[in-house]
Amino acid sequence: MASIAGRARGGLRWNIALVVMAAVMVVNMFFAFMFAPTEAISGHVQRIMYIHVPMAWLAFLAFFVVFCGSIMYLWKRDDRWDDLASSAAELGIIFTTLVLITGPIWAKPTWGVWWTWDPRLTSTLVLWLIYVGYLMLRAYSANRSQGARFSAVLGIVGFIDVPIVYFAVDWWRTQHQRLVLGGPSLESDLHPDMRLALLVSVIAFTLLFAFLLRQRTSLKRVERGVREMKEDAEFRTEGQR
Amino acid sequence: MIALITTPAHNIPYLFAAFAITWAVFFVYVFFTSRRQEELEQEMESLREEIRRRDDRDEGM
Repeated sequence: MASIAGRARGGLRWNIALVVMAAVMVVNMFFAFMFAPTEAISGHVQRIMYIHVPMAWLAFLAFFVVFCGSIMYLWKRDDRWDDLASSAAELGIIFTTLVLITGPIWAKPTWGVWWTWDPRLTSTLVLWLIYVGYLMLRAYSANRSQGARFSAVLGIVGFIDVPIVYFAVDWWRTQHQRLVLGGPSLESDLHPDMRLALLVSVIAFTLLFAFLLRQRTSLKRVERGVREMKEDAEFRTEGQR
Repeated sequence: MIALITTPAHNIPYLFAAFAITWAVFFVYVFFTSRRQEELEQEMESLREEIRRRDDRDEGM
């Protein structure tokens, strides 16, 4: 009975969170499409910035969570840190994939090409490959604890690529535009209304990330619980034989 | 040619594609996550049932 009530409460919380997220995204779309002015040279396509930049920021944030979670896992050997790190890695890959999809869609009408082996683009592709490797390492390891340990090491070492991606536009000559988030161009290049719309978009997608990370981490915990129950049942069966 | 490509009217399909793909990816991810949650809840319930049945049988012996 208590479990049914708990599940109902969980379902209600999930539904409320979904409604809140939908409302936040409607506000975000209003700012991106109605509030922000149209860019004079490239036109409406510049509005891709309101998803492309937040996706890149969240990919960095997700991989930072992987980095911290991996350090904590190797230190404490608590599975909850591994759940957090692997969930964040999964979301980081989704955000990086979206960066690698929306980037070329924006590049084609502005640069005239879908892809160029520019330092920013290439280092982002390398970042994506590192974390795909992270998930593959977990999937193909001989046992779970070995997979968690090895992937934690990769989660820490792989994070080195994040500052490389971020500063690539400053360190090398590149076709990609300069830093938009946290760079000096924030003050000079962007119209104040565009800056506000971008900020709203970053906040909205960060909330979405927090929501998805919480969901995925709790799902990992349930997966672990089911696995332990199965092992326990098998152990009892062995004991009875 | 570049000027033609970059006129606002020609850009709309690119803008639509970027937003549509992003939202589609999120919806697919949330869909699979919630489906996995349902599967796990069912699996957990059947495991609990099996353990309870086994415990009852052991007590009967």
